[in-house]
Amino acid sequence: MSFNPPFDRPRPLRQSMAWLHTWTGLLLGWLLFVIFASGSLSFFRNEINFWMHPELHHLRDDARAIIHARRVLEREAPDSRQWTITLPGPRDPTLFVAWRADVLSSRYSSPSPRSGASRRPAHGSRPEMKRLGLDPSTGEILKMRESSGATFLFRLHFQLHGVSWFVGRWTVGIAAMVMLVALVTGVIIHRNFFKDFFTFRPNRGKRSWLDAHALVGVVSLPFHFAITFSGLLLLGAMLMPSVVRSVYPDDATGFTMGIRGGRDRFNIAPPSRKPAPLGDLAPMVDAAQEEWRGGRAGSVVVANPGDAGATVEVIQAQGYSLANRGIARRLLFDGITGKRLETPPAKASSAIVSVWNSLVTLHLGRFATPVQRWLLFLAGISGALMIATGLILWRISRFKARGPGEAIPVGCRCVEILNVSGISGWLIALGAYFWAGRLLPDTLFARSEWEIRVFFLAWAASLIHATLRKHLSAWVEQLSFSGALIALLPLVNGLTGVSPLFRSLASGPWQVAGFDLCALFAGALLLFAARKVHLHNFGSIALHEPGERPLPATDERSRRR
Amino acid sequence: MEKRATPLHSDKGSALNLGLRVVFAIFGAYGFSVLAGVAFARGGPFSSPLDAAAFSLMLGFILNVCAIVWVFAAATVSRAALGLLFPAMALAAWLHFSG
Repeated sequence: MSFNPPFDRPRPLRQSMAWLHTWTGLLLGWLLFVIFASGSLSFFRNEINFWMHPELHHLRDDARAIIHARRVLEREAPDSRQWTITLPGPRDPTLFVAWRADVLSSRYSSPSPRSGASRRPAHGSRPEMKRLGLDPSTGEILKMRESSGATFLFRLHFQLHGVSWFVGRWTVGIAAMVMLVALVTGVIIHRNFFKDFFTFRPNRGKRSWLDAHALVGVVSLPFHFAITFSGLLLLGAMLMPSVVRSVYPDDATGFTMGIRGGRDRFNIAPPSRKPAPLGDLAPMVDAAQEEWRGGRAGSVVVANPGDAGATVEVIQAQGYSLANRGIARRLLFDGITGKRLETPPAKASSAIVSVWNSLVTLHLGRFATPVQRWLLFLAGISGALMIATGLILWRISRFKARGPGEAIPVGCRCVEILNVSGISGWLIALGAYFWAGRLLPDTLFARSEWEIRVFFLAWAASLIHATLRKHLSAWVEQLSFSGALIALLPLVNGLTGVSPLFRSLASGPWQVAGFDLCALFAGALLLFAARKVHLHNFGSIALHEPGERPLPATDERSRRR
Repeated sequence: MEKRATPLHSDKGSALNLGLRVVFAIFGAYGFSVLAGVAFARGGPFSSPLDAAAFSLMLGFILNVCAIVWVFAAATVSRAALGLLFPAMALAAWLHFSG
């Protein structure tokens, strides 16, 4: 290059990559930590929801569930065009019934979904659904408390909170792109990729943090790439709309519907307008489960109940093909006679769509068995740890012993505060959210809003605390507090519910036992971390390079030891 | 003028250098990858619009990452800019003349 002004001297590759890695990671690190942590928890969305509803903990799966469901639907929604029954399963023993409250605007009622006035409802206006939770063994309608449950954490993961969904999703999309850049540059600057694979040198200050950062990054690197890239794909049509519009010029939702297999799913026949009693549902479910060789039926959709043209669709609980979006198998029955009806075979996906679907299905945890779900969860947590160690590493790399009068630079201090409140403060907010979910009175007006308010109030309090306290003291205090909050969750559960840990461990429900054990373990880890930082604060562990003093105030103590 | 590479934070005009790269990485890389995605979706050998859009979106995101890394990996700002500009102009020209 002949044109070479003074500001544009050649720069070495490695240094540029290190700069990019450091600053992209720092700028969006806190947001990415929240996205990874809440996303990991969302793999156990059903279990967390169940834990937050102790009024459901006594429920047990029951073979008569489908009979009860039908009885309730015939009583509550005799005129509905479509019933959906969600059968109790190992992740949630509640029996749910839902029905369309609208009478004629559903696409199932029109002879051709593309003809004239009875097209699909306009974009964004879904037909209203009503939903009830039932006790599977009695059919009694359950009074469920109003709770944001795990849905709040799930939404926080991909569209944040308090901003419009559009702004939230764009922000998360940009964060995902930045995460990919940080991953690529991280691999480029990582010197001994394979040698460091099993290297961890504890108690060596910055070196240990670097080892930890590289270790959690490298061990699940394929997961980090796949989960971040598939996250971009899930928001893809929004992030690059011009690409989609160039092949779907007049069809705003064509791509999204197509990739979800939406528009050419079953067309259920219109009603015949001749009344006829609906046949027995249980034998149809049994027939379907036999056909699937033990594959559990997850839900039953009845179209046109009470009509001579009624059909019953039995849908498998778990998908069977990663390439096909983890789509569940379905069987269609005649609603009156219970005879099997022919269904068009599912269209095979093209190679490109298969790749897309595999990534997206992995991200959504569809098709995951319990073991795979745990692996996804742990990989997600390792991502959160990678981000957290990276943020701490930034601060440690710039740490200098300062004299009593020397002020720490403002930017550095901001990073310290955001590190404490972004990581341990988020955990405090999470713990407080679970406490609120179990302790706020059921009669409270806008109870689910209050749960979220408690979350953000606790987070704001942690931010204020982190600004008022010295850095390491803030870490110790917030880590201990979050550890205590989370470790005490089993106690809260035992005192405010019917399934204390000793009982749930012995006889279920196992989701509650699993939640309680995880809370105990996570709380203990946080308390352990708090103790480590506390010991370091008083100088017994050399977390800094030799020759560096951690804090001037502790010089006396560390010299004595 | 010295020939050796200077550390990132110490040379004169490093703020301008980094600022330009940041602007290229945010807007240039996105523009380039969207152009490439549109060009591929229109001109690629796909059997359905669904395939075209899915492939081009995946390609677009991969190119976006590569372009951001390129903007910072290039030794000089001018090289980084030209490396984005030439392919982007070629794509735009192709899109323009192919209708």
